[in-house]
Amino acid sequence: MTVQDTTAPDAALGLAGIPHTGEGVTADGHLTEPQAEDFHHARSAPPQTEWYKSAVFYEVLVRAFNDSDGNGTGDLRGLADKLDYLQWLGIDCLWLPPFYASPLRDGGYDISDFRAVLPEFGTVDDFSYLLDQAHKRGIRVITDLVLNHTSDAHPWFQESRQHPDGPYGDYYVWSDTDEAYADARIIFVDTETSNWTYDPVRGQFYWHRFFSHQPDLNYENPEVQDAMLDVLRFWLDIGIDGFRLDAVPYLFEEEGTNCENLPRTHEFLKRCRKVVDDEFPGRVLLAEANQWPADVVEYFGDPAIGGDECHMAFHFPLMPRIFMAVRRESRFPISEILAHTPSIPSGAQWGIFLRNHDELTLEMVTDEERDYMYAEYAKDPRMKANIGIRRRLAPLLDNDRNQQELFTALLLSLPGSPVLYYGDEIGMGDNIWLGDRDAVRTPMQWSPDRNAGFSRCDPGRLYLPAIADPVYGFQAVNVEAHMNNTSSLLHWTRRMLQVRTEHPAFGLGDFTELGSSNPSVLAYLRRHGDDVVICVNNLSRFPQPVELHLSEYDGYVPVELTGGVRFPAIGELPYLLTLPGHGFYWFQITRPHEEGELQ
Amino acid sequence: MTTRPLPAVASLADDLPTWLPAQRWFAAKGRDVSTVQVERAAVLWEGADPGAPSLLHALVDADGERYQLLLGVVEEVPEHLRGATVGRLEDGSFAYDATHDAELMGGLLELFATRSAAGGVDWLPEPGVEIHPGLRARPIGVEQSNTSIVFGEHYILKVYRRPVPGESRDVELHRALAGAGSTRVAAPVAVMRTEDTVLGFAQRFLGDAAEGWATATASVRDLLAEADLHAGEVGGDFAGEAHRLGAAVAEVHAALATALGTEPVGPAEMMAGADEMHARLDAAVREVPALAEHEPVLRAAFDAVRGLPGTTVQQVHGDLHLGQVLRTTTGWVLIDFEGEPDAPPAERVRARSPLRDVAGMLRSFDYAALHLLAGEEPDHQRLTRAAEWADRNRSAFCDGYATVGPDPRLDAVLLRAFELDKAVYEVGYEHRNRPDWVPIPLAAISRVAAAG
Repeated sequence: MTVQDTTAPDAALGLAGIPHTGEGVTADGHLTEPQAEDFHHARSAPPQTEWYKSAVFYEVLVRAFNDSDGNGTGDLRGLADKLDYLQWLGIDCLWLPPFYASPLRDGGYDISDFRAVLPEFGTVDDFSYLLDQAHKRGIRVITDLVLNHTSDAHPWFQESRQHPDGPYGDYYVWSDTDEAYADARIIFVDTETSNWTYDPVRGQFYWHRFFSHQPDLNYENPEVQDAMLDVLRFWLDIGIDGFRLDAVPYLFEEEGTNCENLPRTHEFLKRCRKVVDDEFPGRVLLAEANQWPADVVEYFGDPAIGGDECHMAFHFPLMPRIFMAVRRESRFPISEILAHTPSIPSGAQWGIFLRNHDELTLEMVTDEERDYMYAEYAKDPRMKANIGIRRRLAPLLDNDRNQQELFTALLLSLPGSPVLYYGDEIGMGDNIWLGDRDAVRTPMQWSPDRNAGFSRCDPGRLYLPAIADPVYGFQAVNVEAHMNNTSSLLHWTRRMLQVRTEHPAFGLGDFTELGSSNPSVLAYLRRHGDDVVICVNNLSRFPQPVELHLSEYDGYVPVELTGGVRFPAIGELPYLLTLPGHGFYWFQITRPHEEGELQ
Repeated sequence: MTTRPLPAVASLADDLPTWLPAQRWFAAKGRDVSTVQVERAAVLWEGADPGAPSLLHALVDADGERYQLLLGVVEEVPEHLRGATVGRLEDGSFAYDATHDAELMGGLLELFATRSAAGGVDWLPEPGVEIHPGLRARPIGVEQSNTSIVFGEHYILKVYRRPVPGESRDVELHRALAGAGSTRVAAPVAVMRTEDTVLGFAQRFLGDAAEGWATATASVRDLLAEADLHAGEVGGDFAGEAHRLGAAVAEVHAALATALGTEPVGPAEMMAGADEMHARLDAAVREVPALAEHEPVLRAAFDAVRGLPGTTVQQVHGDLHLGQVLRTTTGWVLIDFEGEPDAPPAERVRARSPLRDVAGMLRSFDYAALHLLAGEEPDHQRLTRAAEWADRNRSAFCDGYATVGPDPRLDAVLLRAFELDKAVYEVGYEHRNRPDWVPIPLAAISRVAAAG
């Protein structure tokens, strides 16, 4: 028996002839699901377990990067064709937002089949090909996986609503009333009025922390836990390098709590980690928990054993604080948040970013401890206007090259693995007339050719129009033009990534802020063994002097990292530097005898 | 020489009258010194090797003013310390200001760590504090009345250059605040003292700090570079910081009130207070004739205090301005609780209205706003912007203060009188030291006058 409910969204839309969940049903009523062995497996990435600590990530939307079949939408094969570019740029790992089968009512985060690819992006074998080609170039690939819920079009939900007593009857959180878990807040207050929605098919309410078309899976049910672990195994078997686990705080519910960050949620994450550690060492789990660092750190697990939940988590508050610090010309917004960031287990790493497809919302900064952010943002009309609006880096910085470089230098040198957003390396613009979400999801600009070189299709067929304004339009801002100009932002970014790769201190080093009397200059020391790097950043648009107290390194010689110029040796007295407006320096501190050897 | 430290230092009597007035911390600026007498002198330690310097501690009296010296004594002053040379001793060796010598200063920590009594000075860690010696010392420059040494990233020792007998208000208030759990001060770690005089005070060093004046003036600079934007529109807006600073000052006031008490004062004291303000104005008007035209407004503001029934007084900072606050990564910290620098010791310890501190900070915002314009041709546009900045941050400071304590603006009469009293003092000070800056306090007085 297959799902035949005319009121149901068609889960198998476009999946005819392609392996998908629910093609058949076993004797005991279970849906048959595609297995990893049905597909090609990618070659392995180079063996290395803590690669993620010093990797540079690159978030790329499959839809937006490159269209291989001319239908106006980017796809997995198209992305695979551009891997040479990403390797040249110096990217270590791609992060792909979800590319699973989905009705696309929530940007693909509403997954209707965990074991099938959205047909317009390609197939599981296309993904396997991408992975293989990426690994061949030393590039890893991770993707989002939503553990908390599925689309209501997922065959599991269709079975669950129609056959309460069947094997999937208990896969979701059903209730006769909408009264349970009243203390859980409603996340999308603009669209949802309750976390419960009545399903006329089953005659019961189902629980959903997000949209009503995204029912929460019932993690109380051990079968659900096992089924989701098998989803992890499916992709790990094919060769994926890891997952960004979406919406992790919400897996379990418990009466009398806010149903977030419950102990059993952590228990399940430990199970996920065990699967990775035991069966797929070297793969990575990244937690998406849009919370204060002191709370997020729980998702790394037990520090005594180096962490036993997620390997990585995003550091959300750092990004808005970088923007605020430069706007205020004061280091304190950054210094403060780093001072308040707890230490993390030895095996863990933060992910940090300037831009991604999700943006800051005031929702995340209303807590008591977040008053600071709230007060500063709410007072400043310009900062306030940026809240909840998705803009790209270049337009946010008025296309100021110095600031783009300063921001990127901060991203690459602050503690954590940097995540670049596709197109920011060429200073791409956005199109705010496309609306909130799509403004920053326009086609990658490869060349001044038709459709920015993204697709051969009729321009009207593009999933979104390419940026064509006089400042950021693809005629001027494109990879080809940047490639041909060695002073371009693209070349500059590439050189900075190379420098970062050469110095383990950036990825693995500890972090010590070097206080100075100048509040506009942020200086810090990164140190990993003998590799000692000092980063000095002028957050002001005016030139600034700074005196650094480096007498611990008396006699050492700072060597500027991008050009190799040797600066005067450090002495007893404060080390005086002058920086141009929005300027920065990266220095390696070299021992005096190394200098002698070189001469 | 070192067996006879007193005559050794006394043999500098010819050099000190020229050396002392050249020091930044010398009190009677612009005046010559005729006689220097050595009050006490002692060896803190002898140089380990023949060529190594010994360290001497001395208190000297220069025409009635007492100064504290730390002297390195050596056969030949090393080249990098030549500039700190004080003079030549009777035995032919040289003395230099040891606070410039990082190596010698590093040894002081050892004295604290061992609770030494070297040189007849007690080197006393605060109860429960363990001092870790062996840290690299560095003197920090630019200080008005004291000399401070930083040890590693851990401690800062303030050597009082003009120590006075009695307990130190600075130390006492820091102890009271730290004892009350306040995080708005740098924790005390040790004192150096004789039986009757506190000579030095070591505190936890706040290595991540930037001075309030520097953070505020960075904001003003940003504003003045954008003459067409209002203070609330430019990126470098300071109002958030000013708000937090106001709350921090109010927290300190509340903690001092709890720890050391408050007392009510009545009409008689208000009368006396008004008389003092009038008296200061009398003196200032004699010195700066330009004040005369504002005299009626000022007199009226001070007279209004006479009509007040009373107020509450307590221990306060006493000399609060943007140079006395530090922005750290954990918020604002107040430093230097020595009190009014020009007041005699007995006057400094007097309980005062917390509004004195508020008025001092409000005046400081005004200074920060206008300092870039001092000495230049008046430019209406820039002056207007600067005034906007001052108003915005003065309000934000009071708003922040009011989140913890009473809104200072509710005590309008007293606050206004204190601010004007401070401005009158500033007019005199600037007239003597920086004539270009006289218009800053004068403009403030005019503004109050215009506002009626």
